[in-house]
Amino acid sequence: MNGLNSNNAPHPSVIKPHFIFGSVALLVLSVMIILADTTILGPYFDSKMLAITHMAVLGWATMIVFGALYQLIPVVFETSLFSEKLAKFTFWLAGFGVLFLTYAFWIADYTGLLPYAALVMFISLLLFVVNVILSYKDSKLKNVSSRFVITAVVWLSVTELIGTLIAFNFKYGYFTAAHLHYLKIHANIGLIGWFLMLIIGVGSVLMPMFMVSHQLDDKKLERSYYLINLGLLAMAVNWLFVHIENITPIFWLLIVTGIYFFISFVYDSYKKRIRKVLDIGMRHTMISVLSISLPVVISLIVMFGVGMDSMLLLRTTTIYGFTIIFGFITTIILGQTYKTLPFIIWLEKYQALVGKTKTPMPRELYSEKLADIQLLIYLFFIIFMIMGILLDQIWLVRIGSYLLMAVAIVYNINVFKMIFHQVKKKE
Amino acid sequence: MMTNEEITNFELEVLELLKNVMDPEIEVNIVDLGLIYELKYDGDKTIDIDLTFSTPSCPLGDTIISGVKETIKKKYPDFTTNVEVVFDPPWNTEMVSEDGRRMLGM
Repeated sequence: MNGLNSNNAPHPSVIKPHFIFGSVALLVLSVMIILADTTILGPYFDSKMLAITHMAVLGWATMIVFGALYQLIPVVFETSLFSEKLAKFTFWLAGFGVLFLTYAFWIADYTGLLPYAALVMFISLLLFVVNVILSYKDSKLKNVSSRFVITAVVWLSVTELIGTLIAFNFKYGYFTAAHLHYLKIHANIGLIGWFLMLIIGVGSVLMPMFMVSHQLDDKKLERSYYLINLGLLAMAVNWLFVHIENITPIFWLLIVTGIYFFISFVYDSYKKRIRKVLDIGMRHTMISVLSISLPVVISLIVMFGVGMDSMLLLRTTTIYGFTIIFGFITTIILGQTYKTLPFIIWLEKYQALVGKTKTPMPRELYSEKLADIQLLIYLFFIIFMIMGILLDQIWLVRIGSYLLMAVAIVYNINVFKMIFHQVKKKE
Repeated sequence: MMTNEEITNFELEVLELLKNVMDPEIEVNIVDLGLIYELKYDGDKTIDIDLTFSTPSCPLGDTIISGVKETIKKKYPDFTTNVEVVFDPPWNTEMVSEDGRRMLGM
C-alpha cells in the first residue's frame, strides 16, 4: 500500500491529554479575563495582560495545536511521529511550564520565578520542535504544506528563544533596548511565524480534504510561503540588528500579500468544493480565514496612525493582538476541534467494528446543537470585546468576558462528551 | 460453473453491498465516492478489488480496507477478498457518482 494508513497515527493517549488541557485552559483563561477586566483597557505590557496572553497562546492554543499536529503529522508529512514517549513527556513539561509561567506573570514576579518558568517552557517547546523535525526528516512528502509546518516549528523555537531571553533580562539586564521592543518581535514571530504559518500548512491540506475540492493551484501557496517568510525574516532582522527606520511597512506589505495568496487558495478550494454544506467545524474555519483581514486592516491603522491619540493607539494595538488570538487562531481551533477530536475518538472506539456492526458517524459523538450555540455566543464575544476595547467601555468588556466563559463551558461540555464517549452495546 | 453474466451480476451485487462502507468524515459511501476502481469475482470464492483514497495521505485508509473486507466477510464468510490500493489514476471529484453528489448537497 503506497499511501498512509491510520496505523501511522499516534496512540490516542498521546493526543487526548492535549485537548483536555487546552479546553480547561480556555475556561481558566475566561476566568482570568473576568478577574482582570480593567487591565484589558490599559497598556498591554502589564503583568496580568501578559499572564492572559500566555495562557491564551500557550495553555489554550499551543496545547491543542500540539495534540492536533501529532495526529496530523501522518497526513501532512506522510510519516509517523518520531517519538510518542517524547510527545508524552513534552506534554507534562509544557503543561507545568504554562502554569508556572502564567502564575509568574500573574503575580508579577519578574526576577524570582519568571526566568525559571520561561526556561521550563523553552525546554518543553524545544522538545516538541525536535520531535517534529525528526519526524519531518523521515517524511516522504516534502511539499509546500509540509514546508509551511516545519518552518512554523522553526519560528516557534526562535520566538521562544527571544521570550526566554526577555525573561532572563529582567533578572540580569543585558538588553540595550526597552523590553517593549523585544516583546514586539517575540509577539509578531509567535503570531505570524508560528501560528499563521502552521495554520496555513495544516489548513492547506485539511480544508480541501474536508470540503472535497481538487485541482487547486499550489503556486498560490508557494507565493504565500516565500512572501510571508521573506517579510517576517526581514522585519525580525531589521528590528533586532539593522534598525532602519520607517521600513517596516514594506516588510509588512510582503506578509500581507502572502496572506492574500493563502486566502485566495482557500477561496478556490471553497469554490471548487463538491461538499456543498459546511459543517460546524468548517463554518468556524471559514469565519477564521475571513477574520485574518481584521488584524491586517488594524495593523495598517496602527502603522500609519500618526496623530492618533496615544491611548487610542494603545487600545488599537490591543485589538490587533486580540483579533489575531481570538478572531483568527481561537476561531479555527474551536472549529477544527470538531473535525479532529471526534475523528480521533471514532478511530479509537470504532475502527475495529467497521463492517462488523453499525457504527455512528464521528459528528454524532458531540452535540452539534451545542456547537452551533457556541459559535453564535463566540461571535457576540468578539463583537463585545472589540467594541469595549475600542470605545474604552469596561461594561462591554465585562459582558464580552462572560460570553467567553459561556463559550468555554459549552466547548468543554462537548470536548468531555467526546473524551468520555463509550461504545453502546447495541452498536 | 458460473456464466459470465452470472459473474457480472454477482459483482454488481457485491458493489451494491459495498455501499454500506462509508467514509465517516464525508458521510458518503465509498462506491458513490468513486473509490472502487475495479471489482473482479473469479466465479468461485475470491474477490479482487482495486480501490483508491481521495488523497494518498487519507487517514482512513486502513478503516476503509477493513470495512470492505469485513462487509464482504459478513455476507460471504468463506470468501477471500483481496484489496489492492492504487493511485493511478489519482482520484478526482469527477469520479463521484450522481447519487454521491446528491449526498454531498450538490
